[in-house]
Parts: sequence; C-alpha cells; structure tokens
Amino acid sequence: MFKSVVYKEWIKTKWFLIILTFIGLLAVGNIFLKVQHNIAFNDANKYWYLILFQNHHYFKSLKFVPLFIGLLIALVQYVPEIMDKRIKLTFHLPINENKILMMMLGYGFITLLASYALMFFAFVGLSNQVLPTEIVQATISSITPWFLAGFAAYFLVALVVLEAIWKYRIAYFVAASAFMLFYFESSIPGGYNLINLKLILLTIAISISLSFSAYRFRKGEM
Amino acid sequence: MSNVIECKNLTHYYGKKLVYENLNLSVKEGSILGLLGKNGAGKTTTINILHGFLQPREGECLIYGENTQHLSPITKSRIGFLIEGHVQYAFMDIHQIEKFYSGFYPKWNNKPYWELMSKLKVTPKQKISTMSCGQKSQVALGLILAQEPDLLILDDFSMGLDPGYRRLFIDYLRTYAKAENKTIFATSHIVQDMERLIDDVLIMDYNRVLAQSSINEFMTTFKQFNFKLGKTDIDLSKEDFVSNLEKSEDEIELFTYESESYVKNFLKNKNIPYTNFSEIKMGLEDAFIGLTGKY
Repeated sequence: MFKSVVYKEWIKTKWFLIILTFIGLLAVGNIFLKVQHNIAFNDANKYWYLILFQNHHYFKSLKFVPLFIGLLIALVQYVPEIMDKRIKLTFHLPINENKILMMMLGYGFITLLASYALMFFAFVGLSNQVLPTEIVQATISSITPWFLAGFAAYFLVALVVLEAIWKYRIAYFVAASAFMLFYFESSIPGGYNLINLKLILLTIAISISLSFSAYRFRKGEM
Repeated sequence: MSNVIECKNLTHYYGKKLVYENLNLSVKEGSILGLLGKNGAGKTTTINILHGFLQPREGECLIYGENTQHLSPITKSRIGFLIEGHVQYAFMDIHQIEKFYSGFYPKWNNKPYWELMSKLKVTPKQKISTMSCGQKSQVALGLILAQEPDLLILDDFSMGLDPGYRRLFIDYLRTYAKAENKTIFATSHIVQDMERLIDDVLIMDYNRVLAQSSINEFMTTFKQFNFKLGKTDIDLSKEDFVSNLEKSEDEIELFTYESESYVKNFLKNKNIPYTNFSEIKMGLEDAFIGLTGKY
C-alpha cells in the first residue's frame, strides 16, 4: 500500500520536484559565482569584513527559494486531490484515512527534505571552500529558518487546499501567512541561533494540522 | 438472504433544511437496488452517508454490519465505489492507475479491466484527463471490477455517457453482478437506464420515501388511469388512494396502487361522471414521474 501511495504522489510531483530542485541548485550556484567574483576581484579579507561587520547578506537571494519549492510541491500534490472531490477516492481506499494522509504528507516531507538537503549541502560545501568556518556557521543558522519555512509552507498549503469550505480556507490562508513571518524575521548571520530549535518544534507541530481538514471533510463539512 | 446495507432512522438536515427524516432502507445480498429521486431529494446525501463522508444528524447506516462512519479497511476493500461523473485520478494513464490500485486490494484481478480497456481506442500513455466521458466510465468500471468487490455503490453512473456507452455499462454490469452474486446500490438521473439494471427500486421525494419494493412489484401494482371528467370542479388529488394526479381541464391522469375496478367503483359511488377511462402502460420513467410529479 505504501508503495502505491508513493507511486501516485511521485506521478503528481516528479517533474516539479526535479525542476524546482534544479532551480534551487542554480540559485545556490549563482550565489557562489557572485561570492567568488567578489573574492577574486576584491580583497578576500575586505569581503569577509563586509559579511561580518557590515551585514552583507551574500546568501539573501536564497531567502524565498525553499518557501517557493514547498509551496509549489504542496499545490501540485494536493490540488489534484480536491479537483472533482477526488479526495473521496483516496478516503475510500482500504486503509485508515488519517494513515493515508500521513503517508501523503510523509512523502511530501521526505521529497522536500531530499531536495533541500541537496541545496543545503551544496551551499555549505561551496561556502566551506571560499569562506571561513565562523562565517559559514553563522550563515547556516540564518538560512535554517528559510528551509524550515519551506516545510511549514508545505504543511500549511496542504491544510488550506484540503479545507473544503472557502471561508475557512481564506481564514487558514490569512493565519498561515501571518505565521510564516516568524521564519523571516532576521537575515543577520546568527540571528536565529537561539530559536532555531523552537522553530523546528513549531514546524513539526503544524505538520499534523492536515488531519483537522480531513476530520472536517469526513464529518460532512464539504 | 442477509442485508448488506441497512440504514435505520436516518435524519439529516443541511442547516435548517430537512433532507429526510427517519429514512429506513435495506439492500439484500445479491440484489441490485436503484435509488431514484429528483434533484435535491437526498440521493447524493445517502451515498455520502454510506461512504462515511457525511455524518447523519440522527440514525445510522450499516454495511456488512459496520457503521459507515467507521468502516474498517477490510470492509472498505469489499466495496467498489463509483463517484458521480466517473471521477478517477485523471493525471494517470490506464497502466499507472491499474498499478496504483492493485497495491491496495488483495483479490485484485486485472483481467476484466484489460478486457474493457482493449475495447477503448486510447493510447497506452494517454492521460485519463484527455479521455471522453464514455472512455472514463469504462476505466472507472474496469477498476471496480478488478477490485472484485462484493458491494458496488454507483453514484449517478450514467452521467455524461452517450446511449451506446450507457448500454454497454449497464449490460456489462448486470451480467457481471448476476454471474458473481454481487450487490449493487445505484443512483442515476436517467431512469430508463435503471429499468434494465435493477431488481429493487427505492423512490425518494423531498423529506420522504415514496416507494420501496422490487421493480416487478412496483411496475405491476403502480398504475396510470386516464379519463375525462364530466365536471371540471372535482378535486380527486386529496383522496387516499391517489398517489398523484395530473389534471388538464377535464383530462385526468391518475396514478395509484389501486385496481381499475376500485377506481371505477369509487367514481361511481361518488356519482362522478367520467368517459374514455383507460389504463396506460408505463415504463419506469413514466411511473417515476407519475409518482413524484412533474414539478
């Protein structure tokens, strides 16, 4: 059964996932082309000084990329389920409704994780080649919330899309948009040092919100 | 024979609008029941309750003895479900969708599916979304048959189908159901399709059940009599034996479960003059309109 669920979700998402990951890697590559350009044509020490003391955010073009990927993957995965109320087919499969939703969500999470991991490790790998460890560590702390925002966007878009009643859908969308601001409060290197763990826990907590829409659907709120 | 579906005292409202009150229905194992009703009479509501997609305000439905709000995966695997409009995962092609469903059903038998698919003029990689309604109906039917369910619930199965595909769908389904002793619960807007398919009929009107019996019993006991009244100011519509009455000046179309002699005696005893009395042979669609009215 799990294989079948993965198969269906893969059919829906594969091209988007591949293309979006490629775009993400291009964004990372673009950042380091610029960094290398600056180091090559300016003095490296001066450039590091800019990063450390003048708030030069060389990585800022990455800011909304994970969010964009998470959002699109959720749309690609869940919009086909609500078209023609196709979610009824999914809920009719001989498997517990919450279990199958969690499988779908798990698929989305793991594929996003794989996509983000490629981007993240490419970013860290390239950073380590051209920047000192202190800068790289502070940068990791700054970009982590952006990747967490990608997961949160994925979970919240799933919740909004699977909600059957428009007025609730709009309310969820407004609340979710406000919630997403938590992840973009600061770009300062190390700015999120103290709350990254809390953001991780918060992101995990919202992952189960999808089951609320499913529960409402099964009660007949459609 | 035991009941596969049993609904007891179902009451449901949408907001304050009553859909029905204390509805009872049952479907025997191996029978094909057609649920007929006008738009808004509660057909889709009943289907949604049967699938557990809607919780009735009161009462319950049981399928194989389990409350439909909490069907176990084993019981769900015994139910084939056709959604109104033959909705399927339209982003898949016929190979992908067969592969997907086969992972869920232990008794999966793809022979009837490929048999039906071989009759379709579709390319192996063609997405279901690009198929005609008729082709989609065959995909949906093939998948249900491959599942080898014991009970088939078909919601408005003839919607969007041209006459040829409707006939193909019905004939294939009836032959299959009778050969394999399957139980079917079906709704359709096209009543004459039901006549070829069903054994039992349940006719719903707003808030109530108008008829529930075998199709043979219904078609032999429910009658239409046409006659001309001698006086135009007589109102027969309130009489107990009159199920429905259509009046156009002095021309009467009377629908009843009573016999010709009963109606004639009634008119005679009440001194109501009439002429041109005749019984009209009805098909299921005529009987349905006769019972529920044209409006």
